[in-house]
Amino acid sequence: MTKMQTYGYPLPGMPDHDLPGKLIVIEGTDGVGRSTQVALLREWLEQNGYGAMQTGLARSALASRGITKAKQGNALSPLTMDLFYATDFVDRLEKEIIPALRAGFVMLTDRYIYAPIARALARGADPEWIFNVYGFAIVPDAVFYLRASVGSIIPRVLAARAEFDYWESGTDFLGGTDFFQNYRTYQNSVIEQFDAMSQRFKFRIIDANREVYPVFVDLKAQISEIVADMRPR
Amino acid sequence: MAHLPDGAPLPGKLFIVEGIDGSGKSTQLDILYKWLLGEGHVVVFTEWNSSPVVRQTTKKGKDRRLLTPMSFSLIHAADLADRMERQIVPALKAGAIVLADRYIYTAFARDAARGIDRAWVRNLYKFAVIPTVAFYFQVPLAESLERILTGRPELKYYEAGLDVGLSPDPYESFRLFQGRILEEYEHMIDEFNLCVIDATDTLVSQQQKVRAIVEPHLTGVLQTEPIAWREVLDRESLHGRYLNFGSGR
Repeated sequence: MTKMQTYGYPLPGMPDHDLPGKLIVIEGTDGVGRSTQVALLREWLEQNGYGAMQTGLARSALASRGITKAKQGNALSPLTMDLFYATDFVDRLEKEIIPALRAGFVMLTDRYIYAPIARALARGADPEWIFNVYGFAIVPDAVFYLRASVGSIIPRVLAARAEFDYWESGTDFLGGTDFFQNYRTYQNSVIEQFDAMSQRFKFRIIDANREVYPVFVDLKAQISEIVADMRPR
Repeated sequence: MAHLPDGAPLPGKLFIVEGIDGSGKSTQLDILYKWLLGEGHVVVFTEWNSSPVVRQTTKKGKDRRLLTPMSFSLIHAADLADRMERQIVPALKAGAIVLADRYIYTAFARDAARGIDRAWVRNLYKFAVIPTVAFYFQVPLAESLERILTGRPELKYYEAGLDVGLSPDPYESFRLFQGRILEEYEHMIDEFNLCVIDATDTLVSQQQKVRAIVEPHLTGVLQTEPIAWREVLDRESLHGRYLNFGSGR
């Protein structure tokens, strides 16, 4: 069951009863291996007879193209970006996440509200404002925070993408052309923001400095317990 | 003065117009705009829902009916945020006049009419500059409906509030939805100190009132440079046939 409970503000048209699915969030900074773990977990859940779905940041039918286009032009201020991401989020919450939970799926979410909140705070957003903007979000059944140091992320990111992304290096607000230094500075500050949120939002911290397999084993063990009550006894 | 949300004054002036559909606010703002230009002021005009970065997404959401009350609210906030940072605040810092056709009060009224929490949407727009004067063109519902619905124009889905499900009939839905919006506006007059203009008054007399309120705020605002080529035309008896006269709207 996913409890129909939000972070303080109502979501209009929200179901007034608990939903049979489970909302499981995989969070963490760039390059910690979230999408790999989500893909593995989905397959593992399906093999074990669960219905599993996945969604991720900036993948909404409504806003994903707009966000991509806006990023290409480098024309997006942090504030506009915050609200664009919030639009993307609510579209997926209402059109993908809630329907999946209603239908009894395990919804694996690659980044939820915490990543866009962390990126906003790292860019100087007013904390009270951004937490309230996302106040309509449903409280997940579990949030796994894949935590890795910038030092262990850098080789993975370079191997996968061969460069440091303009936005993931925070160059949009840090300026200059030193993408490497910017990346370290920015990612460290995002990690700080995640760390600061972990108590308030009851993050389950997973050490993602390790290889894929031990991380998967940890996640599997905890998720097994969460989904256990979905099986008929 | 216009003020940043933290209370810091900006040298420019922000005048905004609000009111339900058919209140005549856009007409009044347009006439005000032309007058201010004629007086030699630097005037920046901005419209609801016009950010080049965000507009396409809003349009897609409306065309395909993807928008829920919540995403409708957030995408409009994104639109104003973009115009705020790229257009409105820089112009006000430069000391110009900014005219906005619809502002945050449109969002407060429409979103609340769609069932969004009032405190939530007020927080959402905390980034907005506080206007110098916020005009509210007050009109009875029956009058505005008559102005809009005479000739039975085709009403758009969201414009008619059909997403709210008040009635399956677009005209009935529009009436009920506009009624809700009007009620929200009326509650905001005191909350935000809106400057009420009686929109049943004649066009000319409304404009006189608007100008009388705007005028005292115009001392020290940015003036345009006299047009540089005008002198050349006068001295050389040229017409300026190939010059680009693309000013004004």
